[in-house]
Amino acid sequence: MTLAIVLVVAAAVALVLILGVTVSRSLQTSGDSSLARTIEPIDVEAFRNLVDPAEDHYLRRRLSASQFRVVQRERLRATAAYIRVAGRNATVLVAIGQAALSASDPHTVEAARQLVDNALLLRRNATLALLKIYVVLAWPNSGLAAAPVLSGYERLNGSAMLLGRLQNPAVPVRIAATL
Amino acid sequence: MLQAHSLLWNYLWVAPNILLIALGFLFWKRGLARRFPVFLAFAILSAAGDLAVFAADVAPSVSAENFWRIDWVSLLVESLLKFVLIGEIFSRVLAPYPSVSRLGRVLITGFGTALVLVSSLIAAFARGDSSMRLIAGFHLLEQTVFLIELGLVLFLFIFTAHFRLSWDRFSFGLLLGLGISACVHLATWAVVANGAPSSLERTYIDFLNMATYHVCVLIWFYYLLVPQKVVEKIAVTLPENNLAVWNRELERLLQQ
Repeated sequence: MTLAIVLVVAAAVALVLILGVTVSRSLQTSGDSSLARTIEPIDVEAFRNLVDPAEDHYLRRRLSASQFRVVQRERLRATAAYIRVAGRNATVLVAIGQAALSASDPHTVEAARQLVDNALLLRRNATLALLKIYVVLAWPNSGLAAAPVLSGYERLNGSAMLLGRLQNPAVPVRIAATL
Repeated sequence: MLQAHSLLWNYLWVAPNILLIALGFLFWKRGLARRFPVFLAFAILSAAGDLAVFAADVAPSVSAENFWRIDWVSLLVESLLKFVLIGEIFSRVLAPYPSVSRLGRVLITGFGTALVLVSSLIAAFARGDSSMRLIAGFHLLEQTVFLIELGLVLFLFIFTAHFRLSWDRFSFGLLLGLGISACVHLATWAVVANGAPSSLERTYIDFLNMATYHVCVLIWFYYLLVPQKVVEKIAVTLPENNLAVWNRELERLLQQ
């Protein structure tokens, strides 16, 4: 009977999740106007510093092993925070790009497609990088490869800027600026 | 009213299947069969299978053993079609997104394999509710199939929600129906296969299963027949920011 209870509870949780996704999907279609305001700015330079292997080497040389572990954990937490924001921004850009896919101008549609593709790539990289960070947090001495996230973010900036230019030539870089 | 072979019982068994065949016909009439060939096969074959089981249940010439054999065949065909249907929906949803489609395929393959293993283990630990292997095995197979089905449906819902992928309306409706059906059926078959309910409780469980399936067929009708609301497009106002700094930074990054 314990097995039955476990499966019944699992089924109930799954039903709540499925209905939750359904409700949030129906809300998304009616409230996309304020999406761009939810994009949070990120300091790419600071992020680049955090994931720079040279910084790792420098800190490893200058600090004792225990100090290095403490500092490295803090750096990893900060990196994770940046990546979470980048991932959230990418999700918003996916939605903005998908809304622009129905535009009549083929250039805008192509730019939107590129934006969606790059944003999804970043979202994927961010998810994988976060997983890796959580693993690395247990072993701070191992190296961290968050470079794909950074390069993905850079490509995404380019796509967003192009879409911004095509949709609103008067304000060419506003989307990019918010990143 | 809530008795086996009552009018309501017969209605709940037969009506969703007739509706499903009608949905398949409507689907074919609207030229959607080319887009969802597996759904058409599922609608026709699973409904025909269920109606055959119903006929075997009411026909006095069919022995109890043969009834269960027909039920087994119907379940196996329906389950196979449902898994292929979920695969078809998954492919349709991922097709426009090459950057995540490969990851999605790898993940669903791994997750599906894990689900098969876990559900087999759960079936192995189930105590069984009947001394007849044909019946106990059928109940365990129902539990196993719905566990895998629910896992796959849930994976697809979470994956698309995580990446905020857009669905076509009918794919979403199909998966919603399959998901709701899998949740309720998993719970009920888990109780049947592991809890050995009384005959009266079994009847209530059958009513719940059949009513749920009826609701799911109506959900599919809704998503096929009711067109999507046309949302008025509003110009997105983008926030002010430190444009000068970011312009310099982005141009430098784009030139790399």
